[in-house]
Amino acid sequence: MSKSYQFKRFLTRRYQILAAILFLLAAGLLLLPKYEKHEGISPEELLSNSISPERYITTDVLADRIINQDPSYLLIDIRPEEEFKEYTLPNAINIPLKKIMDEESIPYLNQTQYDVVLFSNDHFYADQAWIMCNRLGYKNMHVLKGGLNNWFHTIINPAKPGEDMPATAFELYSTRKAASMFFGVAYPEEVKQIVVKKVIPKKVITIKKKKKMPVEGGC
Amino acid sequence: MKELEKTKRISIAAVLTILIILIGLLSYKRPKHIYALNTKSTLENMTGADYLITLEQINNPDLMLVDIRNQYDYDKGHLENAVNIYAPEILNDVHSEIFKELKENNKTIILYGNNPHQVIVPYMLLFQLGYTNTKILTISVSYDQNKMITQNAKLENTDADINAFIEESIKKAAAKPKPIIKSIPKKVIPIVKKKKIPVEGGC
Repeated sequence: MSKSYQFKRFLTRRYQILAAILFLLAAGLLLLPKYEKHEGISPEELLSNSISPERYITTDVLADRIINQDPSYLLIDIRPEEEFKEYTLPNAINIPLKKIMDEESIPYLNQTQYDVVLFSNDHFYADQAWIMCNRLGYKNMHVLKGGLNNWFHTIINPAKPGEDMPATAFELYSTRKAASMFFGVAYPEEVKQIVVKKVIPKKVITIKKKKKMPVEGGC
Repeated sequence: MKELEKTKRISIAAVLTILIILIGLLSYKRPKHIYALNTKSTLENMTGADYLITLEQINNPDLMLVDIRNQYDYDKGHLENAVNIYAPEILNDVHSEIFKELKENNKTIILYGNNPHQVIVPYMLLFQLGYTNTKILTISVSYDQNKMITQNAKLENTDADINAFIEESIKKAAAKPKPIIKSIPKKVIPIVKKKKIPVEGGC
């Protein structure tokens, strides 16, 4: 009797010992080194993402999207507020680089509904913002290649192709010119056409009153 | 006996769990590269612009120039004493050891490429990994007769006032048609005096 009792006691103790080891291991999990600062995707992944050509969007593509009123694009101007007030792209939202990690700006950046296009004067600051957002795993982030300076040189003020340039250069120039007119640039030769157009409807309006012809006497 | 079986089962389960945890711990691999800075502190550092360096400031023995372009560009021409580490390979083991050594020796790592924009990704990666002794050389590289020419590059300055340009174009467009209109009446002006043709006898 006493033997079996001792055996039983030993067994219950073993159970307790096992439980103690489990507790210790659980406590050990708590003490595991914390990688608090290691937020977001791994550096290797970030590097491979940065090599992807999807990172940049050209001014021509963006102009096309704006003109066609593509609703899937969200433009974010990361320049300071003063510069944003002076000039910005249509419907752009201003989030200065300093505020890009603020809580108010996260809903704009961390979403999957829109393709986000970051832009600044050139793409230096925009790239910085892109890297931060990409590290945090935000999807659909793009950078406007060349930024607003390139926007000015290609869309707002496109350079006329020389006579020795290929036909594609002329086609590109005419589409860019048309785009620049959409964004408010006026060309003298185009204005003339508009004036002519205005004259035409006026002609239509005129109500022709037939003058009563004086009864002519025959000769 | 029933109780004995019960304890047996419990102990087997417990031993198994402990084994699983141990295997998990032993097979746990520490990631090779760990960020030393989180995004917020990185951003704080980025907005203060003391990580840029110009051509005039690189004549310093405590600097290590790193060319992040590819091998071909590097061979074509590079700055004196520069080491070639191609940007996509910046996280390789060999290269991380070089960076570690440079950090231990308190040397400043100066990254440069064809333009400052090329450097921003490798720079920010290194910075976030804790190599805070990294800086960007703001130069643009061009070639003239296979000779490398370096120039200090400007960053993020506006090329043109777009609003003013648009307004001016509208003004120009509005002003130009006028002379055309004026010229038309001028052409009309030449006075052609029709001589009164003596009335010929009608029918």
